Formats: sequence, C-alpha cells, structure tokens
Amino acid sequence: MPASDIPVPQDPADALAAVVALRRLADQLEDAAVEQAMRAGWSWPQVAEALGVTRQAVHRKHAKRLIAAGVKLRRRSP
Amino acid sequence: MSPFDEYLHTIIMEGGVEAQRDGSATVEAQHLLLAVAAQEGTAPQRVLAAAGLDHEAVQAALDREFDHSLSTVGVSRGSFGLSRPSTTLKRLPTMGATGKLALERGFASVPRKKDLRPAHVLLGILQAEAGTVPRALALAGVDRTDLLTRVPNTITNDDNE
Repeated sequence: MPASDIPVPQDPADALAAVVALRRLADQLEDAAVEQAMRAGWSWPQVAEALGVTRQAVHRKHAKRLIAAGVKLRRRSP
Repeated sequence: MSPFDEYLHTIIMEGGVEAQRDGSATVEAQHLLLAVAAQEGTAPQRVLAAAGLDHEAVQAALDREFDHSLSTVGVSRGSFGLSRPSTTLKRLPTMGATGKLALERGFASVPRKKDLRPAHVLLGILQAEAGTVPRALALAGVDRTDLLTRVPNTITNDDNE
C-alpha cells in the first residue's frame, strides 16, 4: 500500500499510540514467526536473513526462549 | 527493609513478570499498574478495586487500548492468526522509560524518602497524562483525575495499618 494510503489518525494521541501498538504487535509477531520458522526446521542464518538482521542478533534474542520451549534447533543450514 | 521498600520490590519484580507475560523486554507503567492491582490487601489495590479495576479489569482495559490503537491505522490483531509465542525464560526485563517515569513521579511526591507509602507508586503511575495507561483508563470509562484525588486520602489511612 503506498504511503499516502496509510490512514493517519487525526488526533496526535491516537497517531502516537498507534506507533506504540504497531511496535508491540511487530515484537509479538517476530516472537511467533521465529518460533514457527524454527519449529518448521529453518536454520538461524535463514531466519536472520529473512528478518534482515545478523545471525547473532536473532540468536541472542530468541535462542533461550525457544530452547526453554523445547523447540529443536538446527545448527547448520542445508 | 522498610515496608515501603518491600512493597516497591514486589511491584518491580511482579511488574517484570507482567512484562515477560506481555512479551515486553522492558517494564512499562502498565506492567507496574497490573502489579499494583494484583497486591491484595494493600491500600493502592483497594483504590483501584473501588474504581472497578481489579487485575483482570486492568488487563482488559490494556487489551482494549491495544486493539483500539491498532484499529486507528486499520490493523487488527486477529487478522494475523499466529499462535501465541512461548514466553518462558526470556531475558529478565529492565525498567522501561514509562515505568521509570512513573516511579520517579511517585518518589517526587514526598519531601523525604521515609514518607513514601505504597499509594505513592500508584500516584506516580496515574500522573501520566499521555501514553498507554491514561488511554486504557479512559477507554474503560475510568476518571483518572478523580482516581488521582482519591489516592492521597488512602495515604494517611495507610499510616495506621
């Protein structure tokens, strides 16, 4: 959708709150999507590249949580 | 440790648990509010409960604010249909900007540290005029300024507990 089509709330408080809510939703989406990918057998480098971040960054952010959740993590990409 | 220090410690720790549950890396004002609402038998919890804000109601108000704020830009949480991510053992959340501000406001409301009471934490949280907490309270139909005037009354009563 072109930038001009993104609805911008008229009230600045609503617009700022939308920024906060979208960031929070993006964080939740990232947690869920990374978990989904790793459960589906994706490797860390694949997930990192798909997210546009380094492998270290994605590992640091998600590894502990996924190990605790019992997700089988692949060490190498195919 | 003074009773206030113990209370503050509990709120910060429980606020951290709320933040983790929320998938947040930082403890924000809304997480502190949830922690305050959960401390049964304390003066600030009673003030909130009298306004219809038990822990569940605060959580519902925050969820509503989240959905409302997303809807203003045409986004719906439900449209993603992703499973809830596992939230165990993430790094321990650190104090976020709004959480810090709430505590600082609470501390600044007394001239001396020894005058601090549990209700001052709630006072600090409720003083924010912008952000998630005041928006959530407004959406829940709670008069935040009225609530603010009720909190100091409990502080004198608190001394007798």
